[in-house]
Amino acid sequence: MSSMDQNQPPTSASPEPVLSVRDLVIEVPSEQGMTRLVDGATFDVFPHEVFGLVGESGSGKSMTMLAVMGLLPAPVQLTSGKVILRGQSLTDLSFEQMRKVRGKSMSMVFQDPMTSLNPVLRVGSQIAETVRLHNPAMSKAEVRARAIELLGLVNIPDPERRYQQYPNEFSGGMRQRVMIAIAMANDPDLLIADEPTTALDVTIQAQVMKVLARVRAKTGAAMVLITHDLGLVAETANRVAVMYGGRMMERAPVDPIFAQPRHPYTVGLISSLPRLDRNVGELYSIPGQVPNLAKRPPGCVFHPRCALSDGRSPCREQLPEFRQVGADHRSACHFAEEVAEWSRKTAVVLSGDVAHGSDRKEPATKAPVLRIEQLSKDFAIRRRKGWGHDHLKAVRAVSLSLASGRTLGLVGESGCGKSTLGRLILRLIDPTEGKIWLMDADITTMKPSRLRPKRKELQVVFQDPYASLDPRMTVHEVIAEPLRINGRYNAARVNELLQHVGLSPEVAGRRPPEFSGGQRQRIAIARALALGPDVMILDEAVSALDVSIQAQVINLLKSLQRELGLSYLFISHDLSVVHHISDDVAVMYLGKLIEFGSRDQVFGSPAHPYTQALLSAIPAPDPARARSSERIVLSGDMPNPLSPPSGCAFRTRCLKATEKCAQLEPELVERTGPAHLSACHYADESGVEQTSRRKVGAS
Amino acid sequence: MRKIRVSTGVALALLFGILLLIAVVPLLPTYDPYGQNLSASLLPPGGVSFDGRMYLLGTDTLGRDMVSRLALAGQVSLFIGFSAVIVSLVIGVALGLLAGFFRGWVENVIMGIADLQLSIPRVLLLIAVAAILGSGVFKLAILLGLTSWVAYGRVARAMALSLREREFVLSATTQGATATWNIRKHLLPNVLPQMLIVGSYELGQIIVLESALSYLGLGVQPPLPSWGLMVSEGQTYLELDPWLSVLPSIALFMLVAGVQIYSQTFTSENDMSAEVVKAS
Repeated sequence: MSSMDQNQPPTSASPEPVLSVRDLVIEVPSEQGMTRLVDGATFDVFPHEVFGLVGESGSGKSMTMLAVMGLLPAPVQLTSGKVILRGQSLTDLSFEQMRKVRGKSMSMVFQDPMTSLNPVLRVGSQIAETVRLHNPAMSKAEVRARAIELLGLVNIPDPERRYQQYPNEFSGGMRQRVMIAIAMANDPDLLIADEPTTALDVTIQAQVMKVLARVRAKTGAAMVLITHDLGLVAETANRVAVMYGGRMMERAPVDPIFAQPRHPYTVGLISSLPRLDRNVGELYSIPGQVPNLAKRPPGCVFHPRCALSDGRSPCREQLPEFRQVGADHRSACHFAEEVAEWSRKTAVVLSGDVAHGSDRKEPATKAPVLRIEQLSKDFAIRRRKGWGHDHLKAVRAVSLSLASGRTLGLVGESGCGKSTLGRLILRLIDPTEGKIWLMDADITTMKPSRLRPKRKELQVVFQDPYASLDPRMTVHEVIAEPLRINGRYNAARVNELLQHVGLSPEVAGRRPPEFSGGQRQRIAIARALALGPDVMILDEAVSALDVSIQAQVINLLKSLQRELGLSYLFISHDLSVVHHISDDVAVMYLGKLIEFGSRDQVFGSPAHPYTQALLSAIPAPDPARARSSERIVLSGDMPNPLSPPSGCAFRTRCLKATEKCAQLEPELVERTGPAHLSACHYADESGVEQTSRRKVGAS
Repeated sequence: MRKIRVSTGVALALLFGILLLIAVVPLLPTYDPYGQNLSASLLPPGGVSFDGRMYLLGTDTLGRDMVSRLALAGQVSLFIGFSAVIVSLVIGVALGLLAGFFRGWVENVIMGIADLQLSIPRVLLLIAVAAILGSGVFKLAILLGLTSWVAYGRVARAMALSLREREFVLSATTQGATATWNIRKHLLPNVLPQMLIVGSYELGQIIVLESALSYLGLGVQPPLPSWGLMVSEGQTYLELDPWLSVLPSIALFMLVAGVQIYSQTFTSENDMSAEVVKAS
């Protein structure tokens, strides 16, 4: 389905909004009195439309919609404001009256499909429960028929059989579709989707969004889409509100938000996003950290990070009015009129490519610093029923090499083995087969005592900035640890490292829990740099960060690479980030490498159908382009790695699959161009699926 | 200034009362836990003997001062309790961390021993051993310590299992850290606060257990008093003079309840994982 249908502006002539939210104030008691989580949210949602609520963590977007549902978790409270659903004021309703509204007139889909279904009840009865709650007169058979119909509506194959199954027999994407079925059970007027696809892989996200569009087309429900993903909003929403620090920054239809944003925060957010259709040397990054709501800055909440404000006094002193700046376009900025001019003048580039020829490196000529050959890892999994073990082939005969000073991006969806590969290279787990060379030494079977001194050449930064620092150590101790282990402790070196990653040496005495995610990731990078490594493995190192903070860390990684001549193995599921940071790209699927080439080869002319589908599944933060492109939506889920399909592992979901694919496993060889390897029998046939939007301009 | 919660206040009051008894009473001139005065036996609290001496909490069958005996018994109980907790904590943490960090056969052997030990009722085991080796304050402390390491061992192992996979341990390994380094620098400091919490729960248990053994005549031997022993001695006179059993029971309750309630507060204030969640 083309995304054209989803982005149709509301056709209904009725100007009566489904949902009106007015001056919502949400507070939570804290040690310093009341802390405002949301301060004056105001918007309307009209029939049939998708209203996007965008913001980084702590912006108050989820709290706003929980308040609408009447589900604020104690002690969070709704202090003032009105919520009106179809002319009925919800804020005045009792809990019992509210219960009748929830699930009937409006319903909600939550982020994590793994925890939103009850694991001990059958999926069917969980859907039936919602149907029965609001239709007590329905007979058992009718309820069952309705539940099965709903399963069919959300594209669950074989709904009769699936009705009887338990949630653990459903994949993440299917569970989220079940949640949608439950939400749609009583034809609500309003569906609230809180980050509905954030926990899912990008190809599954495409499936779920397609299902959402389908059920909305059928029932005509309006939807509020809460998300941090600007691409998803550009593609799905009709109107958008941007929130920051609990306040609404900007609200407008989707096209002007992306084409002519009138708030510097929106401009910053859009520009700090790495994109597939653009080559920039450095991302724009909003300076500073996401504000602590307990110590909200006076005046405009964004002013400490705002480049347009430049310390002008109205921004510091006066709360900006959320005022009209165009047709159905509001912005909470004192200088909204200057935004367009400012974004043109500064390095903030909103459209067009910027060629940074100097930044692109020459193809690898030097000897590789890291080389792996036919690396495999089998995990023995004890069978749940019966005796013996099954072998999970997490990594299957992967060969790669990383040249000095370059970045190799390793992409794939969850469960493809990319992180296992990283840990194999780090020798945190032992490979079943294959060889690893670090510099010129074979470290595959090196004894721990011999390996230890070699380890300083290869360091790692992990994904989770909360788990990667020992909460009991001070920052100084964290960064000093690698030096101490190797008997090279030197307090001056620790301070130097802190400055290297853009932190002040004064923070050294504090403990990790006092820092935000971005700052912690900087500390983790400083620790990895302490021993002066040549190679760094970045395992989803920026995936857990907010967009504006992610841009800061990416820029930091790039500048460190230039200064210190580091080589990166950048493991990520986020293709936009990989596109931005990598020189070469490797794509994995079910433990196998299926494509390898330079960045421009892989992103510009992907050879493997899986790569093509992955690229096509990424929503572009550009509404016009999103509307004009077709999308490849893969069917089904990744196969069970315990019993991978015969032949080509991807054939079960592939559009090009033939008999040959089932019998003969394609080898990873040059098929479409020099040094562009792919593992598909039909890679050299020009793909019909290749879309116009993915013509990445090679600089 | 931090506010003190009600439960903490109660716990502190209970503990303060007991500590007053244990620490201050022995300093008083009337302190005499062994002195018998048969003419003044079985006095109720506040009773006055013929020679005009007032006994605050009365006297026992041999006319010994109950306040003094309760104080001495408290010292004995606390000594046994703390020594046993320290012995079991050290053994439990060491074995638990080894099992959790190294996995494999080390874990199988250690947890096998733990399961074996758990399968034999502790009281039964203690009765058997005490009956063979005889009893005494030091023997009792060691014995109680040796038989209660499993609680620490299991918690320490479970925490070690998750900590060894945490990124800060992995990254220390990639920086060349040895197993000893990781256990000492990362596992132990993160496990220890939890162990102290387990310890504070166990302290109450151990003291109760010691009292039970003394009650059975297998623990502290007369004339040395222990709260459990005192309850047992008073049992015969329960109808005539219930104070003999009630007073040591109250003392035992105050100490155990105080320790337990305080440990709850300690738990909620020292839980690092909660802090991590807060920060996010």
